[in-house]
Amino acid sequence: MGDIEKIAESVASLQAGFEAHRYICSDEIATAVFLAYQLRKPILIEGPPGVGKTELAKTAAEMFALPLIRLQCYEGLDESKAIYEWKYGKQLLYTQVLKEALNEVLGEAQGFRESVEQLHKFGDIFFSEEFLEPRPLMKAIKEEDGCILLIDEIDKADHEFESLLLEILSDYQLSIPEIGTITAAAEPPLVFLTSNNTREISDALKRRCLHLYISFPDVDIEQRIVAARVPEIPPALQQQLVAFIHELRNLDLKKSPAISETIDWARTLVLLHADALDPTMVRETLNVILKFQEDIDNVKSEVPALTAKIAK
Amino acid sequence: MGVDRTISNFIRALRNAEVRVSTAETLDAMSAVELVGYEDKAHLKRSLSMVLPKTADEKNTFDACFDQFFRFQDIRGETANENSGDSESDGEESGEGGDGEGGGAGGDPQNQNQGKKKSKSKSKSKAKQNKLYEEEEEADLGPGEITDAHSPLGKLLMANSRVELAQSMAEAGEATNVREIQIFTQKGLYARRIMDHMGLPDLNREISNLRTDTRVPARRLGQQLKQRRDFLREQVRDYVEQQFMLNADVSGKRLREEMLRSVKLSNVEHRNFRLIQEMVYKMAKKLSTLHSRRRKVFKRGQLNVPKTLRNNMSYDGAIFDLYWKSVKVDRPKVFAICDVSGSVANYARFMLMFLYSMDEVMPKVRSFAFSSDLAEVTDLFNRNKIEDAIAKTLHDYSGGSTDYGQALLDFKKLCLNDVDNRTTIIMLGDARNNHGEAHAEVLKELYDRAKRIIWLNPEAKLAWNTGDSEMRKYGAYSHQVEECNSLMHLERVVSNLLRQTN
Repeated sequence: MGDIEKIAESVASLQAGFEAHRYICSDEIATAVFLAYQLRKPILIEGPPGVGKTELAKTAAEMFALPLIRLQCYEGLDESKAIYEWKYGKQLLYTQVLKEALNEVLGEAQGFRESVEQLHKFGDIFFSEEFLEPRPLMKAIKEEDGCILLIDEIDKADHEFESLLLEILSDYQLSIPEIGTITAAAEPPLVFLTSNNTREISDALKRRCLHLYISFPDVDIEQRIVAARVPEIPPALQQQLVAFIHELRNLDLKKSPAISETIDWARTLVLLHADALDPTMVRETLNVILKFQEDIDNVKSEVPALTAKIAK
Repeated sequence: MGVDRTISNFIRALRNAEVRVSTAETLDAMSAVELVGYEDKAHLKRSLSMVLPKTADEKNTFDACFDQFFRFQDIRGETANENSGDSESDGEESGEGGDGEGGGAGGDPQNQNQGKKKSKSKSKSKAKQNKLYEEEEEADLGPGEITDAHSPLGKLLMANSRVELAQSMAEAGEATNVREIQIFTQKGLYARRIMDHMGLPDLNREISNLRTDTRVPARRLGQQLKQRRDFLREQVRDYVEQQFMLNADVSGKRLREEMLRSVKLSNVEHRNFRLIQEMVYKMAKKLSTLHSRRRKVFKRGQLNVPKTLRNNMSYDGAIFDLYWKSVKVDRPKVFAICDVSGSVANYARFMLMFLYSMDEVMPKVRSFAFSSDLAEVTDLFNRNKIEDAIAKTLHDYSGGSTDYGQALLDFKKLCLNDVDNRTTIIMLGDARNNHGEAHAEVLKELYDRAKRIIWLNPEAKLAWNTGDSEMRKYGAYSHQVEECNSLMHLERVVSNLLRQTN
């Protein structure tokens, strides 16, 4: 426990912590995590795909040595998959079994009224926690020592699902009609939500979260990221590669290469034993960083010009 | 208290710049400030930018606002409003600013020299201001013995405390409600009111008395006071300017928006198109959230086993109440038929913009454009951006004289079969048929099949049925006939449409 507090005591210590886990983050990102921890607020992370939104949550879990509970959102996701579900099979089975034992339970109860009274003494066993199948959100709430809850790609889920999240996001509690309200343990989960902006997130949800927008990093940070993730890369190549990617992002492409593509490309080039970017090799490996044939065709003719430009 | 006031002022400025900040977020901002403090401005900015703005757009606005606000504002508290040039150099340390200046204008010559030396290393504005005093002095009476000022403002000016001066200015600003400043022509007025509140009349009287005095020290004081009064005037003007920027800049925009809402769309000037477009999007978004999708459970498709079992447990596990997985989102089907001939083109532009901005709630809009012949332009809208599609539509179809009869016949030929009892047809046009055949019977046919036909006429009601207008004939076969020539009308119509089709 003390460890977490120590890491999260300042922005600088967080940055150092992330770096130790090979996640290089900007001041903004570190500040967001700092505030999230100190103010106990969820973070909503937006930004283009592949800039490390999900990675941030994973690394945070690693760094704080907390379990990571992940909820991947998709269209049609509902409470029975996100919060809880009754173990209906078990309930059914038990009713069948208990039917036999009903006489013993009722004992000498005479008449209908007495029997019902007798039964009431047993309470609502069938809707107790033994018959409850916890799903990610509930698991996160019940985690004793806190955890990292990652709600990934919230924009993929339906509008209605956002409303389901409001209770857990603002109060760290869940209400189950049959049981009551379950409140988080002493240490509430640290919640990360990510969104790729395929649709607007509702204001109600945004209001409850800190909002972090991660954009493509600047050259300096990206170089550090590549160096951290692919340590075996020659420094000269690493600089050229990052410069090249940044040139590409200035072009009008269908999909600009993100950090994850930069890293993949660095790995590829290391495998090919490259020391510097040369046009032929770039052309042959373009498909690692560009994901649309149209983009590849467009960039191919530009490659010599681009490599010449960054060689300067 | 000082802290809270700064933040709430800042949030006020943010709201003014159209960043939506709720009360809950205000509280968050305060706890964030408590946590990070005011010392590290960059850190503060980063922190607040997580808490207050919640979209990329808002973040940009926030950045600009923050820089503007905390450039002027003394970061520690409420007093704060320093000269703009100054706060760049010593922004966070108001005390120092006071000291440096204190030397600059004092009566004692030694002090004066010191001030001059200091000022060289300081920002330009201060150097200039020091020089100003010096010049006057050289030209006239020079330093020397000086009497004390009597009026409160005079004393304040002679006391040379920039902080106290700023404080008094801020108080006067509060008292004169400078925050309510709305348009730039009011700046002079507010500057004057603030000066008056700070005691300018007394000071003026004192100065004029001193100038006619025979004693040199008194005249010298008069001169000093006059210079400082001019300096103060400058300061107040800066202060009002800043208040205007923070509080009124966008109010101007809001005023303009308010006006644009009710202005006739054909009279909208081209330079306002962008603003209108923004407003259309905003309205559309509002309507979208208001009429968010309604779901309908269907009695077919895949069986929802868990739910079925669960719900049938009360029947001893005998399954006779079935639950299905498929849920259908019910959306209205809308056909928009727009007259795009010269007279109505502008209205068509905004209506199409409106309809297509709401694709979240109304994805099934099919649109048709005509002046003489009618054609479907739905594809254009699917392939292009809204603005481009509208421009193309207007360009391609707006030639030719209007012929409603022909247009209706064309529409019938094209898609009479697609019109069913869930369809709403919106007709936008002035029904001026150039005395051609009206073919109202086609409209009747549509009227019988469709759920609703709404006729939107951009002309004022009085002009209907005059000249070649066929409004009476067409109106008979429409469920609803509306005058529609401003954004306000448009919003109302679309809102009704959603309410009835849902």
